Amino acid sequence: MQRSPSLSATAGDMGAVAFCNALFRRNEMVLLLCLAMVIVFFSLASGSFFTIRNFANVFGQASLAMIAGIGVGVIVLAGEIDISIGSLAGAAGIPLVVIMNNGGSLELGIAGALALALTVGLVNGYLAAYLGINSLIVTLGSMFVIRGLIYLYTGQKAIPDEQSLESFYQIGNGRLLGTVPYSALTAFALLMGFMYLMRHRPFGRNIYAVGGNPEVARLAGFNVKGIKFICFVISAVLAGISGILLSSRLGSAVHVAGLGFEFQVVAAVVLGGVSLAGGVGSLFGVALGVLILSFLSNGFGMLDVPTEWQEVATGIIIITAVAFDEYKRQRK
Amino acid sequence: MREILQSANSTPTPHRLGANSPVVLIVLLALLCIAISIGSSRFYAIENITAILRQCALVLIIGSGMTLLLIAAEVDLSVGASMAFAGMIAMDVTNQTGSVWLGAAAGILFGGLVGLVNAIIVTRLKVKSLIATIAAMMILQGGVFLYSRQAIQNNNQLPAFTAISTGFFGPVPVPVLIAAIIFICTYIVLRHTLFGRYVYAVGSNPQAARLSGLNPERLKQILFIVTGLLAGLSGLILASLMNAGQPTAGRGFELTVIAAVILGGTSLNGGRGTLLGTLLGVLILQVINDGIIILGWDQELQLVVPGIVIVLAAYLDIVRRRAGAR
Repeated sequence: MQRSPSLSATAGDMGAVAFCNALFRRNEMVLLLCLAMVIVFFSLASGSFFTIRNFANVFGQASLAMIAGIGVGVIVLAGEIDISIGSLAGAAGIPLVVIMNNGGSLELGIAGALALALTVGLVNGYLAAYLGINSLIVTLGSMFVIRGLIYLYTGQKAIPDEQSLESFYQIGNGRLLGTVPYSALTAFALLMGFMYLMRHRPFGRNIYAVGGNPEVARLAGFNVKGIKFICFVISAVLAGISGILLSSRLGSAVHVAGLGFEFQVVAAVVLGGVSLAGGVGSLFGVALGVLILSFLSNGFGMLDVPTEWQEVATGIIIITAVAFDEYKRQRK
Repeated sequence: MREILQSANSTPTPHRLGANSPVVLIVLLALLCIAISIGSSRFYAIENITAILRQCALVLIIGSGMTLLLIAAEVDLSVGASMAFAGMIAMDVTNQTGSVWLGAAAGILFGGLVGLVNAIIVTRLKVKSLIATIAAMMILQGGVFLYSRQAIQNNNQLPAFTAISTGFFGPVPVPVLIAAIIFICTYIVLRHTLFGRYVYAVGSNPQAARLSGLNPERLKQILFIVTGLLAGLSGLILASLMNAGQPTAGRGFELTVIAAVILGGTSLNGGRGTLLGTLLGVLILQVINDGIIILGWDQELQLVVPGIVIVLAAYLDIVRRRAGAR
């Protein structure tokens, strides 16, 4: 620890954190086991499931929710929530495609998309962290505002990509050596980076401290507002990256893109064992939550189960997982 | 620990804020009405007022239940999906039996059943209501398509079914009358009965409520079921309005309802809020919606303006509370 000795009051909390860590490593074991069971089940049920090609597909599909899920995981760990990510992911495609259609390069388009995401993150963060407005209200508001502005700007039509740049197609659909999707590599790199930050850097410890008990963290000298502010920015930028990949996959900026995405991502994060109360959970768990849902969706597709059953099954799985988690915690 | 700290910081007396909060909203509503009526003479036309009130009715019916839930520190995001399903069932049963009464009862009871399941998951399995009802929403959205992929039409063309939404009781549209009755009932319960006091007590400090001999779980179960029944009723009215059960009806409606309740000054942390505020919140949002159309603005602004208004209202609330604390 690099902090001043005035932290002695939270020594007990640190012990609790270590204890929780131990508990949640085991929780992640449960998730890993679930993931393995899902894979084994579908491998037995469908011949084309357990193939490199299909796994690469699943990782490609999972990458969007994975990237956004890292951001939502971070913000939920900090004890706040961001439900504007669906609208933002949809919005990020617009500057990207419009800049390219007007003769700009892909890089310039991506810069435009990220600038938009950054702006949204700064506004969300300022309103929630510094003005102290409940983050559910703030991001509900920005979810409405962003979606409305998308509709206004596009006139409720998709904006097609007219340049057809090969590089734009590649970022969402391309594959390294023809097998591993670039989007999955992007998601994996971001996951590794943020897992390192959350587990081994003061940055991550600050977030756990603030999310676990903001009042104690404030008294212990943490800059609670600043830390939460940064988390909103992270969440928005990652949603923006997810939106860039989404628009590459769709080959255009679609006005309804990302509708309901926020609920899917929050569901995956919670399935991954992150408590909505803040301070409990891990990004590894989030990654497992996203993968379980993605493999389920892929497997159901292979077995020709109607997509509606997937929604039903996802809902039931989330309730079961969270209820099981709560049951374990109460027995302790 | 954290909950205690939070509630210690924000234990307002409902009365003081109740007396304070509506003033801002009433002024806002009045300003909106004046501004829109200057822009368009059609605003005060009787047809327009009726249209606004009819729109308000759907939101207010669920909003009454949602206000009680939020005061008790719970939330229900499944109401939109439940509305669609309830409307489908109401239409289907009406078609099968030829009786609008049976259809209506089936729709409303279905909503109540959803509320009961939500209640059990939240209070018995201890799943947080935000996530439990998101999951319920997913299940219902999937389930409604499994029930029927197409809209269920009013096959027998029963006029009694459409009368639920388009009929009049004297000069008052039926949905407005229903909403008014429900609003008045919940208002009396929340304001003038012991049960209403308990709702505030459970929401502001569940531990203290339990220690004083209340049963927070039982109370929350009742509130979830009531909200579910009201969602069923709203779904029935919506189906009647469209003269069909649509599987995608009511999608996103949960957010409209919550936005109106929050705009009315009800806190997401529980323990604080009034039904009068919710009524004003519903009216303000619908007047804004109507104004945007009547002034000939882009309809997309119907998402943008309310989004800004909600955040602004929440901010003003914080400013006022800080001023009051000083």
